Amino acid sequence: MSKVKLEQQVPRNALVWIILALFLLVAPHVQRVPIWVLLVFAAAVVWRIMVYRGVWSFPRWPVKMGLIIAAFAGIMFSFRSLIGLEPTVALLLTAFALKLLELAERKDAYVLLFLGYFVILTVFLFSQDILIVLLCLFNTVIVTAALVALHRPGEHRFTFRPLRLASVMLAQSIPLMLVLFFLFPRIGPLWTVPIKSQAARTGMSDFMKPGDVSRLSRSGEVAFRVQFEGAVPAQDQLYWRGLVMSRLRGGAWSSLSHFAAPPDERRPSEPELVGEPLRYSVIMEPTQQHWIYSLRYGRSRDSGVVSAADYRLYRMSEIEDDYLYEVQTWPEAVLEPEISDWRRKVELRLPPDDNPRAMALAQQIASEAGDSREIVEQVLALFTEQPFGYTLSPPLLPERDPIDAFLFDTRWGFCEHYASAFVILMRAAGIPARVVAGYQGGEINPVNGTVIVHQFDAHAWAEVWHEGEGWVRVDPTAAVAPERIELGLEQALAEEGSFLADSPLSPLRFRGVNWVNQLRLRYDALTYRWQSWVTGFDSDRQYQLLTNWFGEFSARKFALVLLGAGLLVFAPVVITLLLQRKTVQLREMDKLYLRFCERLEKFGVARAAGEGPAQYGRRASAQLPRLEEQIGDVTNIYLGLAYAPADEEAAALKRLAQAIRRVN
Amino acid sequence: MEAATGTGSEAGFRARLRQRFRKWVNRRIPPSRSVTLDQKRLFIFPSGVGFFFVLCLFVMLLAAINFQNNLSYGLTFLLATLFVLAVLHTFANLSGLHIQAVRARPAFPGQQTEFELQVSRVKQREHFAVYFRFAEGSSARLNLVTEDSGRITLLAPVEKRGWHNPGRLRIESTYPLGLVRCWTWIDLDLHALVYPRPLASAELPGLATDQPDGAAIPVPGSDDFYGFRDYRAGDSLRQIYWKGLARGDKVQTKQYTAYADRSVWLDWEMFPGLAQEQRLSHLCFWALEFDRQGQEYGLRLPDQSIVPDVGERHREQVLQALALYGIDR
Repeated sequence: MSKVKLEQQVPRNALVWIILALFLLVAPHVQRVPIWVLLVFAAAVVWRIMVYRGVWSFPRWPVKMGLIIAAFAGIMFSFRSLIGLEPTVALLLTAFALKLLELAERKDAYVLLFLGYFVILTVFLFSQDILIVLLCLFNTVIVTAALVALHRPGEHRFTFRPLRLASVMLAQSIPLMLVLFFLFPRIGPLWTVPIKSQAARTGMSDFMKPGDVSRLSRSGEVAFRVQFEGAVPAQDQLYWRGLVMSRLRGGAWSSLSHFAAPPDERRPSEPELVGEPLRYSVIMEPTQQHWIYSLRYGRSRDSGVVSAADYRLYRMSEIEDDYLYEVQTWPEAVLEPEISDWRRKVELRLPPDDNPRAMALAQQIASEAGDSREIVEQVLALFTEQPFGYTLSPPLLPERDPIDAFLFDTRWGFCEHYASAFVILMRAAGIPARVVAGYQGGEINPVNGTVIVHQFDAHAWAEVWHEGEGWVRVDPTAAVAPERIELGLEQALAEEGSFLADSPLSPLRFRGVNWVNQLRLRYDALTYRWQSWVTGFDSDRQYQLLTNWFGEFSARKFALVLLGAGLLVFAPVVITLLLQRKTVQLREMDKLYLRFCERLEKFGVARAAGEGPAQYGRRASAQLPRLEEQIGDVTNIYLGLAYAPADEEAAALKRLAQAIRRVN
Repeated sequence: MEAATGTGSEAGFRARLRQRFRKWVNRRIPPSRSVTLDQKRLFIFPSGVGFFFVLCLFVMLLAAINFQNNLSYGLTFLLATLFVLAVLHTFANLSGLHIQAVRARPAFPGQQTEFELQVSRVKQREHFAVYFRFAEGSSARLNLVTEDSGRITLLAPVEKRGWHNPGRLRIESTYPLGLVRCWTWIDLDLHALVYPRPLASAELPGLATDQPDGAAIPVPGSDDFYGFRDYRAGDSLRQIYWKGLARGDKVQTKQYTAYADRSVWLDWEMFPGLAQEQRLSHLCFWALEFDRQGQEYGLRLPDQSIVPDVGERHREQVLQALALYGIDR
C-alpha cells in the first residue's frame, strides 16, 4: 500500500462493500451464466481476501493475461459464440470478477463499480418483473454505497454508514429521473442489435403441428393482459386471433408470408364497419415474434402495427419487451364478402393424395348437403355425435394420413387436432377454410378488471368462408368439449387432472386457497400497472401522455417543461443542503465565555460590540478592581483554550468553568 | 530565431493569463487569517472519474435506445441525476468549513517548515476526505465526523532566508462519489520564518566581550559549574538538573561560570570582506554553536543589537534578527 498515494487508497470498509456488491450483482444472472463463471467469482473473491490479509499477492500480468484468455475460451466453449446477449453478459461478469484481482487503487474500484452499474442494466434486458427490478434497485444502492465507502478514508471496519447516504442520494434522484424517463424522446434503435435471448421462446410459434398447442397448455405463464374500456365481453367471445394459417405442408400449418401473396392481395380489403367498436389495450409479454393478438376485426393505430391480408395484426419489429398497444374491434364486421380467385385457390389447397378416407367423407357430406352452412353443421354434428374426446395427452398419430387416423381411429385430441381436421374436411368439401391460432378466454382479475390470458389459454380454431357472409369463425372444439370455451381449460380437464402438469408450484394451482389467490391477483394487478406505465412505455404512449398534459407539442415547450421540472425537482434538495442547520453551533468554550459576559453585565460592565476578550478583560478589570484577578483568570484560560492541544482541552474547559463561577 | 520569439510570446501570453487569473482569485478570495468556505470561494467541476462516468452513462443510454428497454432508460436517468446531485453533495462537503491559521514553524533552508491549521465546521454536518495542499509540499487529509474541529499540519520545503509564504492553500474534496471535484485556493496570510543557512567557519576571527573595548577571549570550555537556579522557560534542556528532578525536587537549571561573567558578542564586523549572506550564515552557525554549548552570547548587527542571554527564546530572537536582516516585510 505504501506505493499508493494517500488519495488513491481503497479503505478497507470499501473493499467489503465492493465484494458485497459483486455477489449481489451476479445473483439475478445466476440462471443465465455457466457454472464456471460463478466459480471464477468465488475464486476471485477468495484470492482478493487473501491479498487483503497479506497471505498472497496480486497476480502478475502473465497470470492476468492467462486468466483473460481462459475466460474468452470458456465463453466460446460454453456458448459456441461470443456474440449474443448471454455470452456478452457472461463475459462481462467474468471481467467483473477478474477486475477484483486488480483492485489495488481507487481507479480500479471506479472501473469495477461502473461496470457494476452496467451489469445491473443487463438484467433488465432479460426480465422486467417488478421483483427483479426491486432487487436491481437494491443493487444500485449497494454499488453506490460502495462508491461512497471508497471516499470515506480511515474507515477500517465494516460499517453500514455509507448505505444511508447512498439511499438518500438515490431517493433524491428519483423525481428528476421520472421527469427524464417520461420526457426523454423514445427514438428507434440506432443500429441492429443482436437477438436478445437464445433461451427457448414460450408462446405460439409460427407453424402448428398437432401437439404444439397442447405443449403450451401445460404452462401457467401469462401471455398478455387486456384492459377493456367498457364491459368485458362474454368468455365465449374472447377469441384472441394471433396467427392465421392457410398453408398445410408436411402435416404442419403455417401462415402465408407477406410476399407469398401477389402485390394486390397484400393489403386487407377494408370491411364495412358495423356498430360501435370495442376498445381495449393489450400488454404482451415479450415473445421475440412479430404477431400480436386481438379480437376480430381488430385495428390498431399504434405506430409500427399493420394489418395483414388475413386480418391479423402484425408488428414490424419483434416484441422483445413488454409491449403495450391499443386496439379497436368491430366484432360484427363482415370480412371479405367477395373472395378473390387467388385467395379462394389458396384457402382450398390440400396436399394431394393425403388422408383419403377424410377426403371421401368430406365429398360425401358435400354432395348430400345444400350449401356451405349445412356442410359446416354436418361436420360439427359428426364431432358431437361420434365418440370424440378432449384430452391434453392424445395418442400419437402416424406420419402418414394423420387426419384419417384421428377421425376414424383414435378420436381423442386437443384443439389443434379438431381445428386441423375440420379445416381439411372443409377444404375437401370445397369450402375455403383456414386455421386460426391464438388464445381463447382469459381470467378476469377482480382487482382491476383486466383479462389475464395465460399460455394455457392457447387455442386453435377455424375460419370458413361463406358466400356473402365472408369469413366466419367456427370452433370445432366447442362441439366436442363446450366446457373448454365456457369455463376454460381447467374445468375441461377436471377429470383428467393434467392441468398445469408441468408447473407444480404455480400459484395458479392454488386458486382454491383464497389468500394465495388474492395475493396472486393483487400482484398481477400491480404488474399490469407497472407494465402500462413503465415497461410498456413507448413513443406512442409518450406522445399521448404529453399531449394530454401539455396540449399540442413543440420542441420549445419540451425544453421549458424539462427545465421547469428540473428546477422544481432540485429546489428542495438545494434548499435542504444549503440551509441544513443554519444556526451556528457554539463551541463549549464560547458558551462558557458568554455566561461570563452575562455575569459581568450584571455588574454593569457589558461587552461592547466587536470588543475582543483581552480588551474587554482589561476594561472590566479597571471598572471592577475587586474582581481583577478572577477576570484575568477567565480571560487567560479562554484565550489559552483557542490554541490548546486537543488532549488538554477538557481539563482547560473545566478550569474555565471554575474560574467563571468565582466571578461574583 | 523566429521560432524562439514565437514560443517566447506564447509563454508570455501564458504568464499573463496566469497572472490575470491570480489577480482574479486574489480579488475573489483575499488573504485572511481565517476563512469560512462558501459559494463565493468554492469552485466545482467534474473530475476525471466524472467524465469517465459520463462516458459509461452514454454507453448505457445507447444500450437503452438500441434495446428499446425502458428500465435501462430508467437506470441511466437515475444515475445521471445522481451525478447532478453529487455536485450538490460534494459542494456541501466543503461548504461551511472554517479554516484558521494557527502557526508557522521557523526552519532552516533545505528543511521543511510546518504550518499548523485549525479546521472546524460551522454546521453540524459530516465532512469527509478533505485534502489540504500547498503548491509545493505535503498534503494532509481531514475527516470531521463526530468532532467539531481538527488540526492539520502541512510541510513545505523552504530555500531562502526571510519570510516564506507557501502561497495559496488548495483545499479539495471529491466526496461522496468522486464524480465531481470541489476546490478552492485560500490565502491564509501564512508566513514562516526562514533562518539563514548555518555556515561553519573554522574559528571565530575575534570575540568581543561585554566590554566595548575588550580583547578577544578564546572560546571557553564553559564547564566551570557554580550552582543551581530555578528553571526558567527557555532554558536549554541540556542544563536541566535531571538527577534532582528524578529525586522529586523542583526543576532546576545548572549554571556554569560562563553564564555569569563571560558573555560573548557575535558581531557583524567579525567577518570583514565577506558578502552579507555569508556573514549572516557564519553568525547563524556560531549562534547555534553557542546555544548548543549553553554559552551566553549577544548579537550586534549594523542596525540593532541583542544583549547577551541564553535559552530558547533568546536563540529565536537572535535567529529572527539574522533571518530578517535587510528584509522588510
